[in-house]
Amino acid sequence: MEIKSNLIIGLAGNPNVGKSTLFNTLTGAHQHVGNWPGKTVEKKHGEFTYLDKKIKVVDLPGSYSLTAYTEEETITADFILEEKPDVVVQIIDAQNLERNLFLTIQLIELGAPLVIALNMVDLAINTDQKINIKALSELLCVPVVEMDARSKKHLGSFMKAVFEKAFSDKKADKIKLTYGTDINDELGKIRQFLREKENNVTEEEINWTAIKLLEGDYRAEQKASNKAHYSELKLLVKRSIARLHKICNKDINTILARARYGFIKGLSEDVIGRHTISGHKKLADKFDHIVTNKYLGIPFFAIVAWVLFQTTFKLSKPLMGWIELLFEFLGANLTSLMATWNAPTWVSSLLVDGVIGGVGGVLVFVPIIGILFLLMALLEDSGYMARVAYVMDKFMHRIGLHGKAFIPLILGFGCNVPGIMATRTLPTKKDRLLTILINPFMSCGARLPVYILFAGAFFSAYQGWVIFSLYFLGIIVAIVMGFLFKKFLFKKLSSPFVIELPPYRWPAIKGVLIHVWERVWIFIKKAGTIILAFSIIIWLLASAPFGVDYGSQDSLAGSIGQTISPVFRPLGFDNWQSSVALMFGFVAKEVIVSTFGTLYGIDDVEDGEGGTSLSNALQDNFTPLAAYAFMIFVLLYAPCLAVLAVVKRETNSWKWPLFMVGYTTAVAWIFAFIVYQGGNLLNFG
Amino acid sequence: MKQALITFREGDKVKIECVHCGKNFRKRLIDLGLFDGAEIEIIKNDKYGPLILKIFNSQIALGRGQAAKIYGNKI
Repeated sequence: MEIKSNLIIGLAGNPNVGKSTLFNTLTGAHQHVGNWPGKTVEKKHGEFTYLDKKIKVVDLPGSYSLTAYTEEETITADFILEEKPDVVVQIIDAQNLERNLFLTIQLIELGAPLVIALNMVDLAINTDQKINIKALSELLCVPVVEMDARSKKHLGSFMKAVFEKAFSDKKADKIKLTYGTDINDELGKIRQFLREKENNVTEEEINWTAIKLLEGDYRAEQKASNKAHYSELKLLVKRSIARLHKICNKDINTILARARYGFIKGLSEDVIGRHTISGHKKLADKFDHIVTNKYLGIPFFAIVAWVLFQTTFKLSKPLMGWIELLFEFLGANLTSLMATWNAPTWVSSLLVDGVIGGVGGVLVFVPIIGILFLLMALLEDSGYMARVAYVMDKFMHRIGLHGKAFIPLILGFGCNVPGIMATRTLPTKKDRLLTILINPFMSCGARLPVYILFAGAFFSAYQGWVIFSLYFLGIIVAIVMGFLFKKFLFKKLSSPFVIELPPYRWPAIKGVLIHVWERVWIFIKKAGTIILAFSIIIWLLASAPFGVDYGSQDSLAGSIGQTISPVFRPLGFDNWQSSVALMFGFVAKEVIVSTFGTLYGIDDVEDGEGGTSLSNALQDNFTPLAAYAFMIFVLLYAPCLAVLAVVKRETNSWKWPLFMVGYTTAVAWIFAFIVYQGGNLLNFG
Repeated sequence: MKQALITFREGDKVKIECVHCGKNFRKRLIDLGLFDGAEIEIIKNDKYGPLILKIFNSQIALGRGQAAKIYGNKI
């Protein structure tokens, strides 16, 4: 027996069974997050040491089955067959044994070196099931251990089972499931064909391939399609499927599902002892009754969303203030330090305006993202978010979006960055992409200072209504664009709505904190690098040619502003300052306010409400109608760099962020044009 | 007489008879335990919006449009 010093464990399991919690319990802070090669699905792995052995744990995507119809779903099977982990651990929710066993069967069929960890056994006893662990293990021929995902209580026996499995000579388990004579006949034919045509394949792999070809599995088809005998094999499989369809009058997947679930039913009758439901669940049911109620569900959610936002902004505001102060302090000190060193002014300006200004502008968002994600993760973990998707599905469905898309859109009002990151919860790539593309129309917090400045200067009596109208317009545009995209861009989009409503639980704080830190760190790292680069480019534009005042009319930025300003003439704001401000607003929207300050030579514009001198300057350069058109343009035009960096990350290509810049700017121009020209026709100018 | 899922009331236990949908969605439903022959319970069925079904021991929300294309018999 070979004793290896390093083990690789794969963690598999259904969604909502405590898989991530177990992963966090095992690996603690020793985690690495990346993407699976060539895919946008997140890959997490971590390490821990047990009895002097280093153990690498890979968190596999949560899935209900191993049959893959999309490339993304092939990850687990790919990992097990190609990376050959020493042990695959399936975490099973003891309260829902039967459904979980559907995946177990396929893991055994695949020949995975399986260990089953039963989670939430105590909860299962509290509800209505008592599981005979020994019988389950014997019937499946797989070691089954009890494991509390949140603590290390059963770690000893769990690790013992893992080691035994890893160091046993014969890893593959035999399953006693048979599919019945008709299916077996067809499987036999395919197996025979594979045995004749392919060398160097194990009997298990042949069995697995035969079943998966019948199921129409993406991965099995891909592998077979490279072979010379593919067309012959395909014909054979096609005939088998047709024959089975004729015999059973059902499609092949239903036939297989019935065989599998039939096996599970028989097995669980031997394993589960049932008794009556206790009181705890009734309380949860009562709560559920309110939050999913057809009249109360939406108001309840509105209150939750309101509290979420108030808390986020109230808590993050002072933190953001401190970060701003810190960077101002750094900038001021660096300036004086540079002066004492007699460094050229351009070096000082590059570091202070470019680097510190740019990085500071990004890091200031960290508190808002961190807190928003913390609260969201708590809600998600508790099981409430799935109910929100249920409550909102009717409305979202009407406008052509998935019920789950509501949450990313709501988050967009805070900041589009977490909003776009949250699209990861959507089931299909296309649903995600659609939700990402319309997310920037949700008016984020950074655009608010611009509205406050302009609405204060031009519409002080109706400031609240003007700002509200902009938020509302953003929503309308998002709905219209969503509708158009669905109609023309992703015709086959609509994935029907189906979502599991997990039981209510106390959030696992440790896991939530790790999750939030990951998100924040990704934001700092990815967005930070891109933003820094662009900040320096913009600084260069504002400083070149040598000797001009920073961001003045004579600078490169100023001359670009003058060149592009005619584009905005039909919209009512063709002064070069607003063109430059919009250009700089591309870094971060609130920069628009400070840019106007710089360009009109007015300091101290941090507070838009108090900046009366700036208001006067704006009143000289804009008509009220032009000011409103300008605000609409700011609402709708290209999202900021942080958003584009995140879109690039989430879509894994530059194509979509570039498309986003183009189409949002076009939409912005069209709407501002309609409002300005329409307003002029109606003599509002 | 088999009826569409949307016609059942809360608390009804239903044996699924046939599921009309595309290949990919059928797979997702099978993975969750919803297939011809499965026994489920209707937890919630308002006049609009998705249904909530109890499949095995979990609650699954299913879009109304889809639920209209799944038929079963009351047990």
